[in-house]
Amino acid sequence: MIVNEWCMYCGECAGVCPRNLILLKETDLVFDDFRCNECDICIRVCPVSALKK
Amino acid sequence: MIETDILVVGAGPVGSIAAKHAALGGADVILIDKKSEIGSPKRCAEGASKEGLKFLGIEPQPIWAINEIKGIRLVAPDGTDVWLNDEIKLPEAGYILERKIFDKHIAMDAGRAGAEIKVKTLAKSLKKEEDSYIVSCESMGEEFEIRAKILIGADGSESHIGRWAGLKTGIKPKDMESGAQFEMCNVKMEDYSVLEFYFGSVAPGGYVWIFPKGEDIANVGLGVIQSKTDRSAYDYLVDFVRTCPATKNAKIVELNVGGVPVGGMIKDLSDDNILIVGDAASQVIPLTGGGIVSGMTCGMFAGEVAAKSIKSGDHSKKQLSEYNKRCKDLLDDKMKKHLKVRNYLESLSDEELNSVATAFQDVKFEEISTTELIKKLVKVSPKALLKLGKLF
Ligand SMILES: Cc1cc2nc3c(=O)[nH]c(=O)nc-3n(C[C@H](O)[C@H](O)[C@H](O)COP(=O)(O)OP(=O)(O)OC[C@H]3O[C@@H](n4cnc5c(N)ncnc54)[C@H](O)[C@@H]3O)c2cc1C
Ligand code: SF4
Ligand code: SF4
Repeated sequence: MIVNEWCMYCGECAGVCPRNLILLKETDLVFDDFRCNECDICIRVCPVSALKK
Repeated sequence: MIETDILVVGAGPVGSIAAKHAALGGADVILIDKKSEIGSPKRCAEGASKEGLKFLGIEPQPIWAINEIKGIRLVAPDGTDVWLNDEIKLPEAGYILERKIFDKHIAMDAGRAGAEIKVKTLAKSLKKEEDSYIVSCESMGEEFEIRAKILIGADGSESHIGRWAGLKTGIKPKDMESGAQFEMCNVKMEDYSVLEFYFGSVAPGGYVWIFPKGEDIANVGLGVIQSKTDRSAYDYLVDFVRTCPATKNAKIVELNVGGVPVGGMIKDLSDDNILIVGDAASQVIPLTGGGIVSGMTCGMFAGEVAAKSIKSGDHSKKQLSEYNKRCKDLLDDKMKKHLKVRNYLESLSDEELNSVATAFQDVKFEEISTTELIKKLVKVSPKALLKLGKLF
């Protein structure tokens, strides 16, 4: 997953990931890409469209 | 390894008040937050009810209770507005807070009650071991573990703690309102002691709010349910502020975004050695998206029940179930009612919203009966009334 520079680290994507694969640090988003099933839910909920495959 | 009675993960207002009441109950408490500054950045429109703060024993202070609210203005898509004054009970109305100060104030209360506070400390994972949880943490490049007899997950809508512990705290996209907000100055409000709400296609699945922080300062934001639209919350917000007469000449001084879990409180609030509180447990009022007071009240219950459990030496699910009962007694009926009204509003088209607003425009709500309200609605929009009938 590509996290664009304008990500606000709000954590909304982490809350809806059905596999709980997104860990949000204070200013860093860590994805477990290996276990991701590419459902794209995180991409769709982002309030500022900051995620891209 | 650090040992403690109670570990609270998340120093939002809910985690902090849980830590405060756990410490007041005599337990050893550690409160951690991954942020370097508690309360910042804010992810909130900052409205909180007077009654709610009073129930929590929190005396409003001018430094964080920065504006008093006396009414609500509801605006339909065609601009027809309905005014409600404070003679009728207004949900989430009372004060506009300065959350960056308020959250710190509540954390300081926890600290003064005896809780140890660790900022810039991230909970990374956890494991259950006998009668405790061991949480792996990271702080300033250091890795360490904290063993707690009771773990309180107050980690907001990310809600990892609950899910790592096997509880169903994950949020479905249809239940997560995606929020975007500007704090602005030069906002032209009709009355800066009034909250304004705009409904309809300006924010699919949600609404727009203008919450005044001062004469020309306001939080202008909106929530959308992302499964109802392809556009982002931010895009809707930009469109709104550009066209709304109150904001088209206003200046942006801050951007806030975040998710609000509006699907109703989760069922499994606790298990052996663990309690989940606040946004992490979806303790948010579904209609308003307000979670400060409801979450903090449950946070206070969690702190009290956890301290009692430490005293008794019994940290089992059964012992902790008092927390579930108190939260359910407080919120279950209210949540059900609010979910119905929310579904009703979502089901109305812009035209139907306009008719409902027209019907209620000059109504004195504090003087009118429900039957009279229904009679008015049937006159202007039988279709809107039919939808209402189906829901209740
Ligand atoms: C745009 C928007 C507008 C809103 N407007 C209102 C409003 O007007 N009125 C109202 O009542 N409510 C409002 N809400 C909801 C309100 O903000 C929340 O209900 C409230 O903040 C919940 O408090 P909390 O303590 O549960 O969670 P939060 O305030 O989210 O705090 C959670 C804390 O946990 C920390 N954390 C998370 N994970 C970890 C980890 N792994 N390790 C360490 N720390 C961690 C975070 O850094 C954070 O500080 C709004 C929400 C949004 C997004
Ligand atoms: S939802 Fe968007 S802005 Fe928020 S943390 Fe995820 S990618 Fe960043
Ligand atoms: S694409 Fe789906 S599974 Fe992968 S990180 Fe995003 S929400 Fe999680």
